[in-house]
Amino acid sequence: MDFSILSVIIFLPIFVVFVLLALPVGAKGSRNAAFVTSIMIFILAMTVYLNFEFSGYMQFIEHHEWITSYGIYYSLGIDGFSLIILMLIATLIPCAFLLLWNGRTKAYWVNMLLIQSGITGTLFAQDLILFYFFWEAMLLPVFMIIGMFGTGNRVFSTIKVTVYTIMGSLFMFICILYIGVSFFEEFGVWSFALQDVVKISSFTRSEEIWLFFGFMIAFAIKIPLFPFHTWLIQTYSNSPTGGVFLLSSIMAKLGVYGIVRFVMPLFPDLYIEFAPYFVWLGIFGLIYFGIAALMQTDIKKMFAYSSASHLGFIVTGIFSLNAYGMTGALFLIIAHAMATGALFLLVGKMEYNLKSKNISDLGGIAKQAPIFTLFFMIMLLCIVGLPGTNGFVSEFLIILGAFGMQASAGIVSALTVLVAASFMFWMFQRAILQDTDNDTSNMKDLDLKEIIGLAPIAFLIIAMGVYPDWFLFKIEPTIQHYLVDILQIKAS
Amino acid sequence: MADSLLSYISLAMILFSIGLLGVISRKNIFIVYMSIELMLNAVNLIFISLGRYYESMEPQVISILIIAVAAAEAAVFLSLIVVLYRRKRSLDSDIFNILSQKSAS
Amino acid sequence: MSSFLLSWIVLVPLLSAIILGLLYLYSIKIKKLSNKVFAIFGLTSPFISFAIAGLFFIQMLQDGKTIHYEAYKWLGVGSYNVSMGFMADNLSIFMILFVTFVGGLIHVYASGYMKDDEGYGKFFFYFNFFLASMLLLVLADSPIIMFIGWEGVGLCSYLLISYYYKDSENVLAGNKAFIANRVGDFGFIVAMITMFYYAGANGFDYVSLQNSIGNVPIEIVTYIGIALFIGAVGKSAQIPLYVWLPDAMAGPTPVSALIHAATMVTAGVYMVARFHFVYELIPNVGLVIAYIGAFSALFAATIATKQTDIKKILAYSTMSQLGYMFIAVGLGSYSVGIFHVFTHAFFKALLFMGAGAVIVALHHEQNIFKMGGMKKHTPVVFFTMLIATLSIAGIPPFSGFFSKDEILLSAFASGEYLLWGIGVLTAIMTAYYMFRLFFVVFFGKNSSEDRHIVELPKSILIPLVILAVGSILTGFLGVPELLGGTNLASQWLSEWKNTSLHIDHTTESVLMLINVLAALVGIFIAYKKFYKYDMTKVPKFSGMIWNKFYIDEIYDVLFVRSIKRLSSFIAMEIDIKIIDSLLMGLSSKFISIGHLVARVQNANTRFYAFVMLCGISLISIYLIIELR
Repeated sequence: MDFSILSVIIFLPIFVVFVLLALPVGAKGSRNAAFVTSIMIFILAMTVYLNFEFSGYMQFIEHHEWITSYGIYYSLGIDGFSLIILMLIATLIPCAFLLLWNGRTKAYWVNMLLIQSGITGTLFAQDLILFYFFWEAMLLPVFMIIGMFGTGNRVFSTIKVTVYTIMGSLFMFICILYIGVSFFEEFGVWSFALQDVVKISSFTRSEEIWLFFGFMIAFAIKIPLFPFHTWLIQTYSNSPTGGVFLLSSIMAKLGVYGIVRFVMPLFPDLYIEFAPYFVWLGIFGLIYFGIAALMQTDIKKMFAYSSASHLGFIVTGIFSLNAYGMTGALFLIIAHAMATGALFLLVGKMEYNLKSKNISDLGGIAKQAPIFTLFFMIMLLCIVGLPGTNGFVSEFLIILGAFGMQASAGIVSALTVLVAASFMFWMFQRAILQDTDNDTSNMKDLDLKEIIGLAPIAFLIIAMGVYPDWFLFKIEPTIQHYLVDILQIKAS
Repeated sequence: MADSLLSYISLAMILFSIGLLGVISRKNIFIVYMSIELMLNAVNLIFISLGRYYESMEPQVISILIIAVAAAEAAVFLSLIVVLYRRKRSLDSDIFNILSQKSAS
Repeated sequence: MSSFLLSWIVLVPLLSAIILGLLYLYSIKIKKLSNKVFAIFGLTSPFISFAIAGLFFIQMLQDGKTIHYEAYKWLGVGSYNVSMGFMADNLSIFMILFVTFVGGLIHVYASGYMKDDEGYGKFFFYFNFFLASMLLLVLADSPIIMFIGWEGVGLCSYLLISYYYKDSENVLAGNKAFIANRVGDFGFIVAMITMFYYAGANGFDYVSLQNSIGNVPIEIVTYIGIALFIGAVGKSAQIPLYVWLPDAMAGPTPVSALIHAATMVTAGVYMVARFHFVYELIPNVGLVIAYIGAFSALFAATIATKQTDIKKILAYSTMSQLGYMFIAVGLGSYSVGIFHVFTHAFFKALLFMGAGAVIVALHHEQNIFKMGGMKKHTPVVFFTMLIATLSIAGIPPFSGFFSKDEILLSAFASGEYLLWGIGVLTAIMTAYYMFRLFFVVFFGKNSSEDRHIVELPKSILIPLVILAVGSILTGFLGVPELLGGTNLASQWLSEWKNTSLHIDHTTESVLMLINVLAALVGIFIAYKKFYKYDMTKVPKFSGMIWNKFYIDEIYDVLFVRSIKRLSSFIAMEIDIKIIDSLLMGLSSKFISIGHLVARVQNANTRFYAFVMLCGISLISIYLIIELR
């Protein structure tokens, strides 16, 4: 394909940002421009999806020189895994914009667009340095959006999340440089391209372990895995709706993506060796965060813990080393991004209308806003993993995967059916259903625009639960490619 | 010739030290500025005397450049001083401390 | 008849539910629709399903073949494929027939019962959705598709228990039901996944599983059987997961009749019968099931003798009857257990609907000791309730007699005399507490004569009459040979019949006599104590039984509070005080060093110049020493 579509997807939002900054556009104009941009990206992503071939290898590759003397290339490409996340970004962001429609300033929209560029760039980068570049670049608008539009102790939160993440990335950066130097020493030329550096064979075992954990720390902080999660709670609670939406539904998944894209091919042996520990770490996180969520009084904090709990479960799937777990993890990435993203948007609306996100200040919303409640319920059921939603399919597959690795892991991870249900339903009862003395008459039901925004998400959640196979066939070869070619495990 | 070079350089060093002491010890911004000019000219003197000693033209070129720069700098510096004076109605250099850690916090 | 119609048994109520949901949203948001619009959709769908099921039943009567229909490939990962498949065999078509029939009658009843409710459309949306899930559960051809229905009914149960959601009590009851069911689901999922790994290689539908389960090591089969039964315990409210069922009565009465008596709670029994190929390999686990069933039956009956809320009495009675069914399926007499499910659906639905009628007549009064004398106010309800009560007590020729007799017979024939003893004891208590309820409600002397009795609509009374007729007739499908009949039900379910049990006719008739005597003893005690009971002399209730053995309180302390405490501990202590303070401690050290260094920056230009001078001097001195 001559038309370098991936670059267009990355740089279109940045271009729009420059235009917006150059022209005297108001908040409404910026919002409209942002929405149109997101729709255009959706169309581009659909083009990619439809032209995507049924195979597990990199496609739509773009390769340009960037810093030639050190072998740093601007190289992009996607495979089935990135395709799924791309489709998530492309579908969810226009929907989210519809829910964020009113009351946001120009700077807000500019930052939203910049974040979108950062995440797509991270997703496509096939060069370690380029990846690192986008990985850090997507943090800056997040820093701005939390610091400028957050609530509560927002400046502290934004500095905490930024410094924390940069600390993690620092380890990764050192590892990237080390890998580049090692490649130069072994082959005599500089390269940071992923397909080159995987050929390095000169690492000793201790070197490999250091590098493995250097990468893992960066990704574990982003995901976050226990015990690197303490930034998450405050940040999610203090973020503005758009920020927390992107953080929870997409950026957290990029940590998982990083593990699969870089750690797995670079250190396949260690990946297999340490997999059981990470499976158990994921399960531990699932239960630990699930229990912690129970007594939260702030809905956003509760969802933050819930999100961490599910991401632990995704990590379990990723490390389960079989097709079920991997497919399930991918499916859960989709399910969780949709459901949590939508839930944060809905809570954001509630916060916008009622100026509170504390469970004790809410109640009686079901009566005020029945359609709101309906959508809230669908998303909640997806999080709980009820059959008929894609949440169930993914949970079932991950439990299968964990069972395939270790029977005990499978049984313990089956506790997931209890974990989310307990706190979610309890919260739902207190915050949404029951009547209290609180005055919630300011709560408005969803208007048509917001319904249009949420309906595709709800539809996909149910459609993927009722007919999952139709959504799986594009990613199946990628999973097989990872397992057979990279990890060299025979298909089960 | 060597003796006279030494005396030129000694003179330049004395001038430089006076300028340095002036910068450190005086509070008045004008005097600080004059001290800085004194130091510049001390350096100029060294350049010229060494140029003469080595019979080279380059130090002289540099010294002329320095004079030109000093002239430009004088314009900037003096206007800055005027602005500073307008702000605080004072020429005491210790008053201008908004970058200090105490006033920042 | 083409087999794709099988899926329409599920699809009709599902589509009707979707239409009802959309209409309801339209109704609350745009323009109010009348109840009739909802009733048209809500009431026709169960009967359409019933008609389709009836056609299949006739076809199967003729050729006796199992009907399969695969709609599409549901999930294919690795080498495993699961398809969205439906299967109508003798067991499932039997279940479908009475579920749709009784369900349809309860729908009719509900259309009268709920007529003044503002959420009329929503109610029928839930009801139809429930029916679709229940039918999917029964018709599924693989465990995973069954699980979709299994959870669907659980969700509807939650939604309908917390139907009056504005009161937090009701939603709490809904939550309790959902969580208790989820504990069961945990077992179900574990069992399903183990089966998937050990026996799923040749396909994951029941037929393939049945063929390949023989190759699985027996320990694994035991473990699968236990895990599956945990699922059944949750759904069918047996010890120890029964606590949700009495609370579930917070929902409207038609819900209790449909979900918590006739259909959903029997799904556990159905599941055990469905997996009979697993349990046939592990008779020991079956015995455990039977004992759990027996103890649940006795336990629930004990509690029921002291309750005052009419619906709670019926709830405990449901749990007790479910216990009977588990005795039967645990002992391998699946056809007997399913037959009791069948008769129970009729008389228990009738009991609930009669109770609901009384409740409506008395303006939502549920305490039986505030009723009394209803015989003259509601004669139709009186007669139908009498039939149902006689039936559950086990008086011939009402249906409950035949099914219960068979269960006790199979317990005796298996040599499990303890189970038989518990069964007979429970039968006495059943007769006692049911007639206690009956006498107090219909004959009790209530002096407050100024009560205003609501006129009951026809839509409430007609289903009562039909079900009463059903409660009499259904028993004749299972007349034992001893009484000169043919046991049609067990012939139909011959695959699920326990053929190993033999007992001579003398013993059988003695046992039958004992059962009837037991029922009469129970009725007699109730008659002595409660006939024409004077409502003014109601004693204060207290004691272990009245307080349900404090099980709720024990569970609350053991699970709910301890988990809440653990949650607070994790969120407040471990996360904030240990992990976060460790990290923030590191960063605060960093910050304090920064403050220390920042003191140098005091904005005194002359000081900076001095520091510069010092620095340059030191470098110069160093250079002079070095370069000398």
